[in-house]
Amino acid sequence: MDLSTLGGQFIGIIPLGDIVLYFTTFNLFMFAAVLAFTVLIAISRTESQVEAQFGTLKDREKKVGKAEFKIRRFLAIVCGLATAGAMVTGDVFDFTLFVALIGIVNIGIVAAVKEIDVLDSAFQYGIIAMIASLPLFGGAAFILASSGTLSLLEIVNIPTTTLMLFGSILLFLGVAGETGVAPFFATKAEMFRTPGSPFLLIIHLSSLMVIVRIIEILLIINKPF
Amino acid sequence: MSASVLVPSVVSPVVVSLYLPAVFTAILAALIGLLAISNQKNDLHTLILTDIVGVGMLILVAAVGTDLAESLILPGLVVELAEIMAISEILMSREMRKLGKTVELIPLPLNMNMEIMDTAPTFIAILLIAYGAFLTGFTGGAVAGGGILFYVLSKMTRGVPTNTWEGIAGASGIAWCLWLVGFLIFFIAPNYWLLALFLGAFGVFIKVTFKVGLVGVMGREEFKREKE
Repeated sequence: MDLSTLGGQFIGIIPLGDIVLYFTTFNLFMFAAVLAFTVLIAISRTESQVEAQFGTLKDREKKVGKAEFKIRRFLAIVCGLATAGAMVTGDVFDFTLFVALIGIVNIGIVAAVKEIDVLDSAFQYGIIAMIASLPLFGGAAFILASSGTLSLLEIVNIPTTTLMLFGSILLFLGVAGETGVAPFFATKAEMFRTPGSPFLLIIHLSSLMVIVRIIEILLIINKPF
Repeated sequence: MSASVLVPSVVSPVVVSLYLPAVFTAILAALIGLLAISNQKNDLHTLILTDIVGVGMLILVAAVGTDLAESLILPGLVVELAEIMAISEILMSREMRKLGKTVELIPLPLNMNMEIMDTAPTFIAILLIAYGAFLTGFTGGAVAGGGILFYVLSKMTRGVPTNTWEGIAGASGIAWCLWLVGFLIFFIAPNYWLLALFLGAFGVFIKVTFKVGLVGVMGREEFKREKE
């Protein structure tokens, strides 16, 4: 098996010393999509949230100050770039770092809001993200211990051992916790009630893209075909 | 594939046999932490207990013991620290919103009267700066910066001219650019690794020294003020 089995045509690599990025049709498309979304989010204007009130016909409008949005826009751009980096990296090492960065930035985007409910769920999400760093880095460490490398271009040629399978399962658990998908999504849905929509979308987008990518990485490590 | 293929023969078998106990220690530590979290109702305690799980992660990575594992530990540690700071900030702002009061992260001004702050600052500062210059790199910068920090906190003089302040901040920024350039050279032209090494080491040394010194100048204004 080689990388083009999953990714389509193998386009090339960018060797930067130890750090090797590689492009296939599949991950180049995801990279471009994430970058395009990041640009859209960076140039978009914020919207103010309107809530219907019970008992009256009035609406309540929530507005957020410009200074707060400046920080949030910056963090959203960082999150987008980290996601884009995770798409094309040829290294499990870089991938774990990008995912950990996405986890921190996601907390940062909602950290400055004024609603107590949102802060509460952001706290729960943060606790899960912190606990999930154990399987995330631990999984990477198991893969490193059993194969001797973290480079996907090398791992493709190494026969899979049981410890590599175990490590990749741990890695998946870590990514699931860090991006807040399936079992942990309840807190993340609450976080979405923050006013200031366009910048929040990157939280959702990053987790979707990273999950697609981690599945590709798991298949590369374990070579079921 | 057996372990002997991956582990070079110079590594003693005792070190190799430590891997499995270390992994089990890490998993045990993490399980203890998780059990404690599941029993905990107080949010602050939950946050502190999460750190035990983080320690488990560090053990797990450290057990591998190669240089790649070492470079994985550093970001792991930084991620733990960053997350615990971010979450404690969230916890604080939530509690402040509930109570409707605001609280400072560090309650300044502090009132400290110690003899060492009158007699020793020059000597200790020179010693620390000299040792920091000898170390270079980030560690050296932190040591030398600590010396400057101690010096400016101890001396009674107040107020720094704006020009000096901005000059030092600018020099710190330029030194940081040197570090970045050194870092880039490592990737683009690995042949010049010695130049890159020295650019990086002294760039980050000057940058950290000045930064910590500036923190000291900034802190002194609050630090020396009398408590109302």
